[in-house]
Amino acid sequence: MIAFIIKRFFWLLVTMWAVFTVSFILMRSVPGGPFDGDRQVAPEIKRNMERRYNLDKELHEQYFIELRRTFLEGDLGYCMKLTDRSVNYVIAQGLPISAALGVLALAFAMTFGLLTGVVSAARRGSVLDVGLRLVATIGIALPSFVVASICIMLFVFMIPLFPAAGWGSASQLVLPAFCLGAPYAAEVARISRTSLLDALSQDYIRTARAKGLSKSRVILVHALRNSLLPVVSFLGPAVAGILTGSLVVETVFAIPGLGIYFVKAAELRDFTLAMGVVLLYTLILYTMNFLVDLSYAYLDPRVELE
Amino acid sequence: MRLEGRSLFPWIAGAAILCSLGWALNRGQLPPADFTFVNGTEVKSLDPAIVTGQPENRMINALFEGLTSWNPKTLKPEPGAAERWDVSDDLLTYTFHLRQDAKWSDGSPVTAHDFIYSMRRFLDPRTAAEYSYQAWYVKNAKKYSGGGRAVRPGDNVEVELNVDPDAPNTIRGKLVHGKLVRIEDKSGKELAGEELDNAAANADLNIEDWVFVISTEAGEERFRYADDAAAASNEPAQGERHARQILLDLHDVGMRAVDDHTIEFTLENPTPYFLTLLGFYPLFPVQQKCVETFGSPQWTDVENIVCNGPFKPQFRHLRDRTRVVKNEHYWDRDNVKLNSVDFLAVESSTTALNLYLTGQVDWIYDVPASALRTLLAEEPSRDDINPVPLLNTYFYLLNVTRKPFDDVRVRKALSMAIDREELTGVLLGAGERPTYSLVPPGLPGYDPPQGPHENVKEAQRLLAEAGYPEGRGFPTIEILHNTHEGHHAIAQLIRKQWQKNLGINVRTRNEEWATFNASQRQLNYDISRRGWIGDYADPNTFLDMFVTGGENNCTGWGNAEYDKLIAAAAVETDSAKRLDLLHQAETILMDEMPIIPFYNYVSKNMVKPTIRGFYNNIQDTHPLSALWIDAAEETPNPFMEGRE
Repeated sequence: MIAFIIKRFFWLLVTMWAVFTVSFILMRSVPGGPFDGDRQVAPEIKRNMERRYNLDKELHEQYFIELRRTFLEGDLGYCMKLTDRSVNYVIAQGLPISAALGVLALAFAMTFGLLTGVVSAARRGSVLDVGLRLVATIGIALPSFVVASICIMLFVFMIPLFPAAGWGSASQLVLPAFCLGAPYAAEVARISRTSLLDALSQDYIRTARAKGLSKSRVILVHALRNSLLPVVSFLGPAVAGILTGSLVVETVFAIPGLGIYFVKAAELRDFTLAMGVVLLYTLILYTMNFLVDLSYAYLDPRVELE
Repeated sequence: MRLEGRSLFPWIAGAAILCSLGWALNRGQLPPADFTFVNGTEVKSLDPAIVTGQPENRMINALFEGLTSWNPKTLKPEPGAAERWDVSDDLLTYTFHLRQDAKWSDGSPVTAHDFIYSMRRFLDPRTAAEYSYQAWYVKNAKKYSGGGRAVRPGDNVEVELNVDPDAPNTIRGKLVHGKLVRIEDKSGKELAGEELDNAAANADLNIEDWVFVISTEAGEERFRYADDAAAASNEPAQGERHARQILLDLHDVGMRAVDDHTIEFTLENPTPYFLTLLGFYPLFPVQQKCVETFGSPQWTDVENIVCNGPFKPQFRHLRDRTRVVKNEHYWDRDNVKLNSVDFLAVESSTTALNLYLTGQVDWIYDVPASALRTLLAEEPSRDDINPVPLLNTYFYLLNVTRKPFDDVRVRKALSMAIDREELTGVLLGAGERPTYSLVPPGLPGYDPPQGPHENVKEAQRLLAEAGYPEGRGFPTIEILHNTHEGHHAIAQLIRKQWQKNLGINVRTRNEEWATFNASQRQLNYDISRRGWIGDYADPNTFLDMFVTGGENNCTGWGNAEYDKLIAAAAVETDSAKRLDLLHQAETILMDEMPIIPFYNYVSKNMVKPTIRGFYNNIQDTHPLSALWIDAAEETPNPFMEGRE
């Protein structure tokens, strides 16, 4: 167990380093830099703008300066666009917001997804099952900006239940959490239905039924527990994605989370911020996959960590 | 172990949900501000010297005040921190008298020294102020902000010595004054004359390769640029001294504090818009004590910042909202009616519109084009929207270094084959006006010369004359635009019109912003989309862009006569003559057509009918200090003037 953790930690460092290096090279090889605006800047002034971020140095020097600062000091530097904020500050401000919204969306996705998955599996082939599966397919297929627009039209303008956008009150959380969670709920419903059906056809289920256990007990205790594995392995990467925020949902609902930076920072050539969010995502994704592996051992005694 | 782990899971999940809820709600419900509006993207900084852009403009204008400030209706410069000024007869010397009661938000007086400090800091290349050229009208200011690249042998210079690398980064080093004797390059060779000019203009120059030989009090000394960190850890080379930077002597720059409340500026040329520029946010003052105590950028933190404008910041939630409250030390506080204003950082104009329509904000400055058309068509007409033309022009650049655009007949044919009415009326539909000149209409005393209007027959004739009858043999040309729905739609329409009217093949290419700018600068395009927003209300802000080799020219076009006219206009003291020179210059530009103007933008403000003090103007500038709320709507709303 300890050896497993140490090994994974080592590979985490290797992965982070590899991601850092590839991102560094990719960012510097695209045309246009952070200080190429539509108005030309005098050379001496541009030099000083670049100097602040060591961009005036040779590429390999920049690489080692950044590498040391990032990994040894844990300092991601100053943003190149939000010039008076450090990347660490931006992440510290945005991540909790994205994560809070993400957890709520995930809670909704899990509750709703599992519930419908179980109902669908238990009433296989019924109208209810077909209906729920239809909704789930639509939920997966519809891009979130469409879901968000429909929600806004329905619940902001036609039936004014919720505010249009913003952050800070409980009512402001409902629509974004729903829009963010909807595709995940649909996915969870689909996966849990399939794997529950799979479990229900096993021999031990028949044994349990033969023993005289009630149908609900068989499904909820015996089958569900064994059908959770695929859901959990889906959840790992999904959590990484949902915690770091969504560009669309955060833009539409004006939520000051992290999601937007994944696109904006690259687009605006904000090298430091782009690097920061890429590394953060790597870290979270890796950690979640690690936790998923750990939870396998709990959920299924046959899995051994090595 | 297994069972424990599993039974823990619901508790962990529950705790995570509670924590999230707690976090999501911990900012709580703030009492709403008197006035809330959507300010677009999060501002880059609160430092007036280094920011650019409209959201920053609105923010800095609320927090700081320049020597002059713009009338909210006419945008004419009015007394700001200066209560009056004198201008010499040759229009080259401006003397400003500061008001005695101008105060910083910490209660200390705003003095002439603050302004000199701020101007110097703004020009200092180390401040890296993108907008520093806005102050280059001051004598020798351009030279000062060029640092070591701009000084020439014989100049009086100031050498800024290195400081402790751990000191606040806003502290200046000790100064050594002297006269520049010569500059030596990497190999020790003396650079002079044109060779020096060329070397200095080279963007790839590493200035640390140069040695500046300067005669100081201690005799002839050799200085070399070094970073503070490098200077602290390395001894200078034999017989040399480290310098943080080398600048023209500040005494030779045309600005000085005559006394605590008097400032004198000497200009390079008579600049009729100088007073207006002083009311433009990059030239606003900052407090030396605050900047030097905390260093940059920490001095702009809400708990540190000291400002001199009508408002001061109360809190800043990144990409959420910034609240400013009335500055109790502001000299004109009695005329500031709003006690608090919220700047919302909302990037999507659709979201902004939703917020406005649900009553959560009082002003939005941009409405998505599709919604705008619907809103304008509403019956009865809305009482909160009134688009007016702005000092902005949308145009295409033609790369005249490429065939076939090197032929003026082709350029004219392209312009004449465009139906601008279809573009503005059908595609845009917010009241944009077609334009046949670069300078937008509406500037006092200037009636822009018109380029050729639409004439398909003539366009076809010109194209045939250029050797492409009915478009035969004409290469496939490409329209470059930055990635944006609106620009794409326009490019498609123009493509269709050119194909139909001229029989030529056109395709479009989009690039995202940074790449797009690089392509434009490297002339890596055929035809490229461009918009220009006037910095100040004068034709010069548009026209001086197209001088030969101008930084923002980006077409490869140059014309000696044009350059001469622009230069002559810059030194002309008679206002009518000056405008006439600019008119002649634009006539050349519209005759040569390195650009094809399409239309002038319109403002897209929606303002709650209860807001007063909000006026439409060509620069879309609306100082918050002028706003007040007439809840009962008893007074007429000037914003809606001119709309039925």
